[in-house]
Amino acid sequence: MNGKIRSFFAKPVVKPLAALLLMAVAMTFLSDKFATADNIFNVLRQVSVNLCISVGMTMVILTGGIDLSVGSILALSGAVAAGLTRNGLAVGGVFVGFTFWGGILAALLTGAILGAFNGLMVTRFKVPPFVATLGMMTIARGLTMLYTGGFPITGLSNAFRFLGTGWFLGVPMPVWVAAVIILFFAFYMKKTPTGRYIYAIGGNQRASLLSGIRVDRIILLVYTLAGVLSAVAGLLVTARLDSAQPNAGAGYELDAIAAVVIGGTSLSGGRGSIAGTVVGALIIGILNNGLVLLDVSPFWQQVIKGFVILGAVIIDKFSSKNQY
Amino acid sequence: MKLKSVFISVLCVLTALTGCRQDGGGSKGRVAVVISTLNNPWFVVLGESAAQYARELGYEAVLFDSQNNPSKEAEHFDNILSSGYKAILFNPTDADGSTVNAKAAMAKGVPVFCMDREINEPGAAVTQILSDNYSGCIALGEYFVETVGREANYVEILGLVGDNNTWARSRGFHSVVDCFEGLHMLAQQNADFDQNKAMEVMETMMQANPDIQAVFCGNDAMAMGASQAILAAGKSGRIKVFGFDGSDDAVGAVRDGRLAATAMQFPKTMARTAAQFADRYLSGEHDLPRKIPVAVELVNPENVSHFGNFGRRD
Repeated sequence: MNGKIRSFFAKPVVKPLAALLLMAVAMTFLSDKFATADNIFNVLRQVSVNLCISVGMTMVILTGGIDLSVGSILALSGAVAAGLTRNGLAVGGVFVGFTFWGGILAALLTGAILGAFNGLMVTRFKVPPFVATLGMMTIARGLTMLYTGGFPITGLSNAFRFLGTGWFLGVPMPVWVAAVIILFFAFYMKKTPTGRYIYAIGGNQRASLLSGIRVDRIILLVYTLAGVLSAVAGLLVTARLDSAQPNAGAGYELDAIAAVVIGGTSLSGGRGSIAGTVVGALIIGILNNGLVLLDVSPFWQQVIKGFVILGAVIIDKFSSKNQY
Repeated sequence: MKLKSVFISVLCVLTALTGCRQDGGGSKGRVAVVISTLNNPWFVVLGESAAQYARELGYEAVLFDSQNNPSKEAEHFDNILSSGYKAILFNPTDADGSTVNAKAAMAKGVPVFCMDREINEPGAAVTQILSDNYSGCIALGEYFVETVGREANYVEILGLVGDNNTWARSRGFHSVVDCFEGLHMLAQQNADFDQNKAMEVMETMMQANPDIQAVFCGNDAMAMGASQAILAAGKSGRIKVFGFDGSDDAVGAVRDGRLAATAMQFPKTMARTAAQFADRYLSGEHDLPRKIPVAVELVNPENVSHFGNFGRRD
């Protein structure tokens, strides 16, 4: 029994979880508006976009990589879904209309293609992930501008609006989407061989290669998944706003990386978990929500957020120093 | 073999790139249009109309995007000054930070014409054609008091806290509204001119302050985000939303009653004036006014039918 408790507290997710609870308790005392059902659902709904991206980011970072292109892929996928369902596609005089599901599929495909492109750059052309995805960040943003002409695409279907603002069994739709993704990938990382290989590659790429893991294939898969998950996030943002903004998602890569790092995942790969990332994203979400609830000056908000990120990482480092 | 294929692919890319070039115009020389950002439809309209009007006047026009970054802007100026442009239609990223760039151009004999945003040094441009943000927000503030009343709670959503237009708008608005003791601002938060951020900030502010009757937003994208949050919270009609810019979707929203009012800035008018002034200057007319303020007009449900397409319809 004692051993069980000790092994629970030794889990890396426990420290960020404790920080999350501490923040939630503090906020409950600071603002009587915080712990209301409405506000909790607000936080969850606002966090769901970052959660989708962060799950993909966690896998990428676990392999020792990074993906800076998620925000731009989000924007392009959202614009593709909105543009195709609204205006269809005209190729060589042939007009193709898109239904809601057609638009969703096209967006996910866009994410997959751009993500796979990242993966190919990293595996085939040996471009460092930071540079490869930095390139894609600019490319995808440019493609978004080209496709939208710099204007938002507005006026989407009811199905889209339901995805963004609807409720199902008393829970907002974006929260359902994020929950399904989290559960699926948490299981995937823990219980499938591919999931374990992702950890192995980040731990020691050469050893993984020598033990017969098809490293290139897994890395390609991970970047593709990150692209698809950014596309899901793009669909959520587009659906919530009832419009696709050409500058959507700018800076989201940093929120995602922050969530992953606060959640205890090592930036050098091999160590961390989806659960930790979920906690990290919730910490950022509660912080964003709490600072506005308390009407903290916008100038101070940035300072405070920066210190919270640093603080979380320092605590994690010091309490698990034997791992570094 | 490998070298050859690399060479061929580079050649292919270069050939493909020529297809991406912006189409030129007449033969009176080249004019550069430098825009602070093309991430926002309003600035896209400003930049593209400036280029369009310059082409109509017989120039070749090339559009540069400074991506809200003064150092990117400086690079554009370096390139422009070394490649024989006749004039620069300029939308500065920053009132102070852009001064050096504009002065460098003027010193090299390339005239600069500012659009929308000001440069804080009078000699750094031939003419500055400016949108009067401050006065526009005074008008908006007066309409705010008229529609919301003298006893109400409201919140404000600022744009970028490091941007001078953000504060010009906020100060114009408050110069009116703060005269009324019954009008209480319960919260003031920023959303970086971003629709999604504004929606999230609005959701949270409504949680913190259940009893608000109005929200003033520093631009239309944020007003649309706030109105989306109000809609989702089932509070439509109970919280009045005020925007600024006159973008198409916001004018449409004023028509539908989702926004209480916005203020129309006239990007096309400013772009046309800048292009015409550049043409006059280049034809030898050097005695041009230093500053031309372009009024910002209030758009409310009564007069909304006169507005659209980034200007007046009539």
